[in-house]
Amino acid sequence: MKKTILSAFIAAAMAGSACATVAEDSKIFTPYFDMTLSEAAFLPSEGNIFSGGNINTQVGLLSKITRKDHLFGLYTFNYAGQGFAPQDSKQFTDRSMSHGFNFEYRRSLTDSLRVRPGIAFSKEYRRTGANEAWDNGLYNMNSSGGQLALDYSFDMERNGYVTMQYLFRNVKFPNYTDLLREFQNAGNTAETSGGLQDQTMGQVSLRPNWNKFFGGVTYTVQNYKNQKVVADTGVYGDTKQKDTDTAFDFGFHHSLWILEMYPMVSYTMHKSNQNFMKYKFLGDTAPEFGKDYYSFKEFALSVPLDLNITSKWAIGGAFNIQRRAYDSRYARNETNDFTTAKQVNTMTTLTGSIRKRINEVAMVRLFGSVIVASSNNKFEKYMPYNYTGNSFGIAYNLSY
Amino acid sequence: MKRTILILLGLFLIKSSAFAAIDWESKGMQIAGEILANPAGFFYDFQQDLEGTTPLPPGKSFGIQTGLFPTTIPMTYTNVSAKLRLHAEGRIAPGVPQLDLIGGYWDMLAAKLATKNSDTIDDAKFGGYYAGGILSTSVSPRVRTFWGYKRSVLSAKAKFLPNSRGKYPELLGTPVKDFDTGFKDDFFIAGIETPKGIGKLWSIQLNYGIKTKIFSSKVSWYGKLFELGLNIYPEGVLVFHPVWNFHLNF
Repeated sequence: MKKTILSAFIAAAMAGSACATVAEDSKIFTPYFDMTLSEAAFLPSEGNIFSGGNINTQVGLLSKITRKDHLFGLYTFNYAGQGFAPQDSKQFTDRSMSHGFNFEYRRSLTDSLRVRPGIAFSKEYRRTGANEAWDNGLYNMNSSGGQLALDYSFDMERNGYVTMQYLFRNVKFPNYTDLLREFQNAGNTAETSGGLQDQTMGQVSLRPNWNKFFGGVTYTVQNYKNQKVVADTGVYGDTKQKDTDTAFDFGFHHSLWILEMYPMVSYTMHKSNQNFMKYKFLGDTAPEFGKDYYSFKEFALSVPLDLNITSKWAIGGAFNIQRRAYDSRYARNETNDFTTAKQVNTMTTLTGSIRKRINEVAMVRLFGSVIVASSNNKFEKYMPYNYTGNSFGIAYNLSY
Repeated sequence: MKRTILILLGLFLIKSSAFAAIDWESKGMQIAGEILANPAGFFYDFQQDLEGTTPLPPGKSFGIQTGLFPTTIPMTYTNVSAKLRLHAEGRIAPGVPQLDLIGGYWDMLAAKLATKNSDTIDDAKFGGYYAGGILSTSVSPRVRTFWGYKRSVLSAKAKFLPNSRGKYPELLGTPVKDFDTGFKDDFFIAGIETPKGIGKLWSIQLNYGIKTKIFSSKVSWYGKLFELGLNIYPEGVLVFHPVWNFHLNF
């Protein structure tokens, strides 16, 4: 669930990034096109082989009305297929598909100051089963809203600028239903849980860029319109759910001799006032209460490295680690009982690849990865927490 | 050097004991189940392999194409496609994109032969067509983007007769008397094309069906006579389709 929300923000942020970086020359119309396609086979230590892919397509057009006034439209298609995923995020078989539309007006106030108001709409579909209809996904999501960004350039020579952005979204989940409510109202055939995930989201970010170094701080608030916080009595109280994320990130993209590095590190503090009732079986009369069940701190580090052995060919490697430590959630043992240790999930990926640059706008990459997922949560009846796996595949990228 | 890298990568991938866990029998059953659940979708993926959805090369006004693999061989989709340029880029006014009409038709030869020669197939018809248009515009001397629309239609139907013992053919243990399925949808197309060498082009494109939400990515390399492609259907039964098409452009 959190992944869904955060992916919406990331998509919005990426759209903003595309708007900020599209080529600007003397033409009245400047198109923007970026397509990344990957397909891979996955071999988990538990379960059978499966395949999955990712497609990200961005098609945009910048229109220069006057020297100071520009319009930018961007369409984004994003598909995330089956694949290994960090624990507590999604099942291997989950897929999502989204369409995003972003329209932005840019006004240069001075040579170094630019304002960018915009509006955005998106529609996201999610599904798990092979033949489940896209329209029926539990977490299907519609989002609409706007944003206001301010760019301040402080170093033209080295592309130094700071972007401050406020972003607002109204998010609806038309199909969402709540298992706890359904369980407690099993005899009720009427719709009891419509709009439970509906929410408003606000985000403030400050992102400096300079000489291919980038970073930023992002604060996100999700206010649920209807979802209430479950109390230790097992019933929903009057307090509405509210989640916040405070995230810091830093990275760069630099080359040194034949080495090309683009590492990124991030740290996220997620706070939620939502609690959890753990029913061990249907009809459990003594469910256990998990207070502050969803708050966590997450650290992520990604270190990709390419060794450009010729102008066309490169050998690549990447190390990724993601570690999530829950503030209050206790890990469970094999029999679904809480232990005394707080839950910690870690996922590490080591990737080797060969990249061929087809020309200045296109490249293809063959890759293989080893993944190790570990957690002190040993209850894995529904979701895998401790596993290893391999994946290998191919990726194309064409960007203009 | 390249060979060494490939060997190293191969060893890196194969070293895992996870390969031992592959259950090919259950994978086969899963694939068969997915085909039965949506046969039209399965056959339509092969139709997309023969559809010519890239713009005509600059300077060409007419083109014909036929899919060789996996359409004619082994699927026996006898097929022909055509492209007609209505407007060359910049001819009416600077910046006005090239406009091509596209279309094609296919018929499965195996279905006709089966009807004629089999005692248990009473009637079988597999075929389809598509039609649409593509706008393309150069964004630099070496890059062309294109956007398009196509209407695709597929029909797949068959009737079976009982054999001498009075039994109908079985699929996964279920007797099948007949099926009549079809597929039709409107697609939008977005892609980009760039030269790979003299007279050779490389393109990547997205095809998205508005109603059925079927989508595919096509990566293609093409020259004067042939097109090699790798079509990827992430939600399809067979995800990768290597493609070989023949075309002539005038």
